Amino acid sequence: MNLNYLIKRTLGTIPLLLGVSLLLFGVLHLAPGTPMDVYADNPSVSQEALDQMKVALGLDQPLPVQYTKWVTAFVSGEWGYSIRTARPVTTEIAERLWPTVLLGGSSFLLALLVAVPLGILSAVRRYSSVDYGITFMSFLGISMPVFWLALMLQLLFSVHWRILPSAGMQTIGDGSLPDLLRHLLMPALILAFASVAGWSRYMRSSMVEVLSQDYVRTAKAKGLTERKVVYRHALRNALIPVITVVALDFAGILAGAVITETIFAWPGIGRLFIESMNGRDYPVLMALMMLGSFALVVSNVLADLAYAAADPRIRYD
Amino acid sequence: MLSGVLLCGTATAQQRGGTLTVGLSYDIDTLNVYSTGYLGDVQATVVEGLLAPDKNANYVPVLATAVPTLKNGGIKLSADGKKMTITYKLRRDVKWSDGKPFTSADVKFTWEAIKNPKFTAESKDGSDDIESITTPDAYTAVVNYKRVAPDYASTLFTFGIFPKHALEGKDLNTDVYNEKPLGTGPFKVKEFRRGQYVIVERNPYYWRKDSKGVQLPYLDQIVFKIIPDSNTLVTQLKSGEIQMTSSVPYAQVTQLDAVPGMNIVKNNVLSWQHLDFNFKGPASLRDLNVRQAFAYAINKSAISKALGGYPVPLDTVVVPVFAASNKNVPKYPYDPAKARALLDAAGYKPGPDGIRAKNGERLSYKILVQAGRANDELAQQVIIGSLKAVGIELVPDNKTGVAFREARYKGGYDVFYSGWITSADPVYSVFFKTGGVNNGQGFSNARIDALLDRAENTLDPDIQKKALMDFQVELMRQLPTIPVTSNLSVIAVTDKLGNFVPNPTNMTNFVDTSRWYLKK
Repeated sequence: MNLNYLIKRTLGTIPLLLGVSLLLFGVLHLAPGTPMDVYADNPSVSQEALDQMKVALGLDQPLPVQYTKWVTAFVSGEWGYSIRTARPVTTEIAERLWPTVLLGGSSFLLALLVAVPLGILSAVRRYSSVDYGITFMSFLGISMPVFWLALMLQLLFSVHWRILPSAGMQTIGDGSLPDLLRHLLMPALILAFASVAGWSRYMRSSMVEVLSQDYVRTAKAKGLTERKVVYRHALRNALIPVITVVALDFAGILAGAVITETIFAWPGIGRLFIESMNGRDYPVLMALMMLGSFALVVSNVLADLAYAAADPRIRYD
Repeated sequence: MLSGVLLCGTATAQQRGGTLTVGLSYDIDTLNVYSTGYLGDVQATVVEGLLAPDKNANYVPVLATAVPTLKNGGIKLSADGKKMTITYKLRRDVKWSDGKPFTSADVKFTWEAIKNPKFTAESKDGSDDIESITTPDAYTAVVNYKRVAPDYASTLFTFGIFPKHALEGKDLNTDVYNEKPLGTGPFKVKEFRRGQYVIVERNPYYWRKDSKGVQLPYLDQIVFKIIPDSNTLVTQLKSGEIQMTSSVPYAQVTQLDAVPGMNIVKNNVLSWQHLDFNFKGPASLRDLNVRQAFAYAINKSAISKALGGYPVPLDTVVVPVFAASNKNVPKYPYDPAKARALLDAAGYKPGPDGIRAKNGERLSYKILVQAGRANDELAQQVIIGSLKAVGIELVPDNKTGVAFREARYKGGYDVFYSGWITSADPVYSVFFKTGGVNNGQGFSNARIDALLDRAENTLDPDIQKKALMDFQVELMRQLPTIPVTSNLSVIAVTDKLGNFVPNPTNMTNFVDTSRWYLKK
């Protein structure tokens, strides 16, 4: 891995992101409806008001003109104003980014810390009761709808025992860290649960495959301990396919967890996206989707870096 | 003696202080009442208008000293009877929550600001009707109208008044006012965290006092928490994290009834559900026989039953709250046999699959409701079932957000099921007049146009009532729309809240919060 490679990769993403932006812009404007329709829903809005707004928002111009204007503005850091709230898009997103990163980040870490050891354990003790237990839990996690699990936990912890808040990011008037963590606990656990289930299955199958290979058998034959064989020789190779899956999910953090954020009234990106979509708030939507694409590109680069770290045979020039 | 005891009893009960926590089911876009896409629940605690509708949908004075009428001289007609002038006398004891006095200059400024093309407001209704405003003194505003506008009260100055001293020369589209509106109401905005909550706190300059001279409001604060998921809203009520929410889905009412300390308030609202036909759609929908068959086939009481019995079957579009609601319109009681007979007589014969057809056109339509609206989706199922029984096929075509709205206004549907909520003096021409703003179905009838014109351009209540009565008869004859039910809104509220009075109009339940109090 060298700096040259990184620079090359980075430059390569520019035309890619530009192409993506053109596609997104086209798709958004092809979708039925415009931001004006939100206003038209109100019986007390006049056609004159609608026409005035259309001109003020630049929606009366042809699409290529709108796109060129958007690209030049976006590149120069001028992300425009939300049609829905009339606030700068950057402010709108910045406010929602931190809660999403907090929720997504903590559940991601949590899931990683649980999934990898569980997967290894499952693979090493294949066909034991531990393996079956973990498999059962995984399938439960994969097949259980998030909203159902959330409802049950809310019912138990908030309504029956009243020990955790059922929704929101903070108790109003209390901005302390313990309060934040109390609010974070349930949504983060639920988000992590779904990831753990998937990732531990990948980890298990990848590990099982590696453990059956010749070099592992050789290592065992040389008299190495089970521990050393698993952690020193097998784990690194077993991690590579898992990294791909995990890296893709990492990009998903920025895309937001729509259902979790809605159920727990968490003020994150996912909810902002839904509201902007319902209002066809083009400036916010474009910025959000570009951010999502950017995150995907970055996490791909990160995945490549992680491959190299996990397997010294992989080299980039 | 007795009344003295009673007075004492109520006086001790109304303590000052406390915080009421309310759950809102939508994410607030802006706190400017003229540009929001929602009903202004939070805004109503902060911003006041000259008038407001009360619990019976009658206008009462707020910042004005009286509701202007022809009788009290507040409204004067021009000599030719084509224009009118409204004179508002304003209260002299009102201050903005920053301590500055409220005057007639604010009233004039409000109109100018809203009329300004640069202000991209959603609600500009009524601003075009005004020719000029003069302010002979600080507490008199004379509004000259271009036409006779009986609906003057439901628009401009009832929504709210802008503070001239704080907004003059500012860009209203982006001004900080949209986050922290400055008003004359009982509360002022303390903190607004987007996507999370709004806290409003007592306005120290509020002008209203109770009968014992105690400065209102009684409450210290109201907290509006934003909880977009309706299941979570109910959970928060059960866990005591919120104390009130104003639109409980019908299916969840029984759950909440069991919660100790929770009152379920049922409020008749000026809203009705209806099934509309698209006149620009399939040709068979322009056949009155088909529309009548629909009307006879729909089992309105089954829909009401499916929704817990809360919505009440309805025969006309003017809801029964209004005096002009006509009980003697042509009615279409549930009668599937009659529906079948009508279709048979009109030549629509059942095909091999049971669906009727005539000249190659099958009676199969797309039915649009707003996706995710539990109550509407349930009603939709009942309607589909009812019509299948008479040989008409309805295929669900549900949409959300803007896609739904566009379909509604541009006619992207065959039949359409939804509801309207109106102000205290509804203007029906937006829905049913040729080219009306909300007439997406492309319905047009000269007689109905004329009747609506008559009703909406007179200040004479008798003429207006007569025209509206006739309009309903004609509308039910033409049947562009089938009124299905009139609605109840269900409010869950802690039994500790005193003096709570629900409001049936689109001005929300928070239109007068100054007398609300929490029992200790």
